[in-house]
Amino acid sequence: MAKLTLQIDGKTIETESGRTILEVCKENDIHILTMCHLKGITDVGACRLCLVEIEGVSKLLSACTTKIADKMVVRTDTEKIKRYQRITTELFAAERNHVCSVCIANGHCELQKLAYDVKMDHIRYPYLFPQCEVDTSHPLYVLDHNRCIVCTRCVRVCAEVEGAYNWDVMNRGTNVRVISDFNTPWGESVTCTDCGKCVEACPTGALWPKAVVQGQLNKAPQMISELIEKRKMKL
Amino acid sequence: MSKKKIATVWLGGCSGCHMSLLDIDERILEVAQLADIVKCPIVDGKEFPEVDIALVEGAITSDEHLKEILHIRKQSKILISLGDCAIMTNVTGMRNYFNLKDVLETSYVGSISNDDAGEMPNHWALLKLKDKVYPLQEIVEVDYSIPGCPPSADAIFYVLSELLNDRIPDLSEAKKMKHG
Ligand code: SF4
Ligand code: SF4
Ligand code: SF4
Ligand code: FES
Repeated sequence: MAKLTLQIDGKTIETESGRTILEVCKENDIHILTMCHLKGITDVGACRLCLVEIEGVSKLLSACTTKIADKMVVRTDTEKIKRYQRITTELFAAERNHVCSVCIANGHCELQKLAYDVKMDHIRYPYLFPQCEVDTSHPLYVLDHNRCIVCTRCVRVCAEVEGAYNWDVMNRGTNVRVISDFNTPWGESVTCTDCGKCVEACPTGALWPKAVVQGQLNKAPQMISELIEKRKMKL
Repeated sequence: MSKKKIATVWLGGCSGCHMSLLDIDERILEVAQLADIVKCPIVDGKEFPEVDIALVEGAITSDEHLKEILHIRKQSKILISLGDCAIMTNVTGMRNYFNLKDVLETSYVGSISNDDAGEMPNHWALLKLKDKVYPLQEIVEVDYSIPGCPPSADAIFYVLSELLNDRIPDLSEAKKMKHG
């Protein structure tokens, strides 16, 4: 692999080509906020939290889907980026119905953690209060659209790691919904193997096991990344 | 320096935020040194007076709340949204996904705990619910927000003591802020 040199937040880094800005940042302890990224599965740039500034590029680009290049100069910590991250977080919270106090994920939620990270004390946008469905038809798990931020981690994990392709995404804009098979109740799915990987991968209270009560939810999305690594091992 | 005036009020909420306010315990004495609490829900029902700081718990759910918050805004130099219901309607706003008639019918007529004669309340002395529940910021200008359901006593005390000492509170540190 060709070696190349780039600069991130003033730090000069030498590394191999073909990697994303996010990967290189993680390796060098440069913290970037992410939501749709889950190590090991394909990055799609859905959440727009990992935006970075690149010298000579007028748009902000997502670190998880942008490959590094030789002599690239990247900034991850500007006021502009912080402003966008706060806006993105507020829009996540305003778009569906996030009632933390009665949510299964309260205290164990990546979106809540993000709200602390961007120092969100209130939301400046009008709440949409959409009427969202809760699918409780699966014997083990629940899908609550009120809490979904459409990061599509569930969709990718189910397809790429379990190989079951149960999830897909339907509609556009605020009507966008994650769907099971052809928009049928999850409990009637002919593809779902009940493996629970999507539940572990989901960053919010949108997917959760029925066996859990509020305050006891403890998801392990890193388990998915570990699984992917272990499968590469040749014993 | 003359003492500042604080008032607290409870609109569409559960009073939990006020319980958290009481949880500042003996620190209330520090507050009392710098300010007079001239109105709060447990004291009396008089009209909301002119104050330096208004702590408002709860969302706007009725015609009465609407009238009151507009009045409070006029009377207060600093208006603080206290807790998640005031900031984002929280549990109070969960009826916003449905229309009001269905909500009332479900609660007063259709509910399994009702007897056969369930009827919708409409006494003249009762407040009239609005079609939707609103967070304070959609109706009036809000100066500070203390999130949480309920907010922590530490956060409430911190904001009060900063304001009473003429400093600007900064809740942005995670240890002071609380979501949910
Ligand atoms: S998913 Fe997270 S942010 Fe949304 S209501 Fe639940 S705990 Fe709160
Ligand atoms: S439980 Fe497993 S198979 Fe079923 S939808 Fe989730 S990831 Fe796919
Ligand atoms: S259900 Fe969870 S993992 Fe799937 S898109 Fe929604 S928030 Fe993301
Ligand atoms: S983590 Fe890069 S866009 Fe979501």
